[in-house]
Amino acid sequence: MNKLILVPILLVLAACQAIETKREAYPSMYDPALKPLSIIVVPAINKSTAADAGDLITATIPQPFADNGYYVLPLPIVHKIFQDEGIVDGTQMINAPASMFKNVFGADAVLYVTIDAWETNYIVLAANVTVGLSYVLRSTTTDQVLWSYKARQVVDTAGQSSGFLLLDVIKTAVATAMTDYLPIAYRANAQAVTTMPFGGYHPQVGTDGNAGVVLKSVKEDAVKDLGDGS
Amino acid sequence: MKKISTIIVFLAFLSGCSSVSQGGYYWGDYSSTYFSLVKDRNADTVSRRVVALEDIVSKSADRDIRVPPGIHAELGMLYAEEGREAEGFAQFEREVALYPEAKPFVERLIARKQP
Repeated sequence: MNKLILVPILLVLAACQAIETKREAYPSMYDPALKPLSIIVVPAINKSTAADAGDLITATIPQPFADNGYYVLPLPIVHKIFQDEGIVDGTQMINAPASMFKNVFGADAVLYVTIDAWETNYIVLAANVTVGLSYVLRSTTTDQVLWSYKARQVVDTAGQSSGFLLLDVIKTAVATAMTDYLPIAYRANAQAVTTMPFGGYHPQVGTDGNAGVVLKSVKEDAVKDLGDGS
Repeated sequence: MKKISTIIVFLAFLSGCSSVSQGGYYWGDYSSTYFSLVKDRNADTVSRRVVALEDIVSKSADRDIRVPPGIHAELGMLYAEEGREAEGFAQFEREVALYPEAKPFVERLIARKQP
């Protein structure tokens, strides 16, 4: 009897958590005609309450993506060109045709990063910092989405209890205020990049198609986040 | 005694490797100087950026590994802004030699420098 109940539950769970391999999730990334080598990173689309988070988050992007085997156009220069043109937030770029990045910068793909969350939550004696980032990589020749992922990192920042309630409350607030968000952003980047097929400069390029698992919902949520921004 | 020296050699080997990223690059102070630059771009943060990029170029050569994407191009840009045009162009050429797909971008940078 118990078993009969368990089977449907497992089926429901399996349906919700549809898992794919890297090749199933991102087939274009294994197609020689579509696989990008050079990537341009546009300024982050900031939907969080932290107004100054955008530029810093954008600055964490080039390193992990270059390490994954891609040529990332020199972001400090790219960023400055955008600033000269009056573009400071990626929201201004969502509706720009992706082919523009091919014509102007010679990039194969454009990476949009949306900051969904960048906040501290206080729960009386505990606190945690949440950083949520959505990544969408779009081809500059076909406009199609090549890779997407929604990463979320929650880190507890409350320290050890001192044994005195009031002191603990103060300590919790201070500990969080001093917490550097950037290492957490790097963790979000790392989480996302593990799902991304290796690029042409990675020694293992093309060998990871069956490796790794990607949650379908997480892949689709990232595209939805970008779409809402316009 | 032999054991200790083996351990020392092993540790030296480990510390030599640890500064090279998973992608096989040496990044040095790339991030910290970049964040400083983003927070406040001034003569001091720019000069520390130049030092960090030059360090990445020389340490990569020491380790016989590829210089990460964008380093030569950015260094070239910063040299050119200081008026060291010839050195800047040399860096641009090195970027394209390492990463041929950077060519259209670098050509655009040179066009911007020469109005």
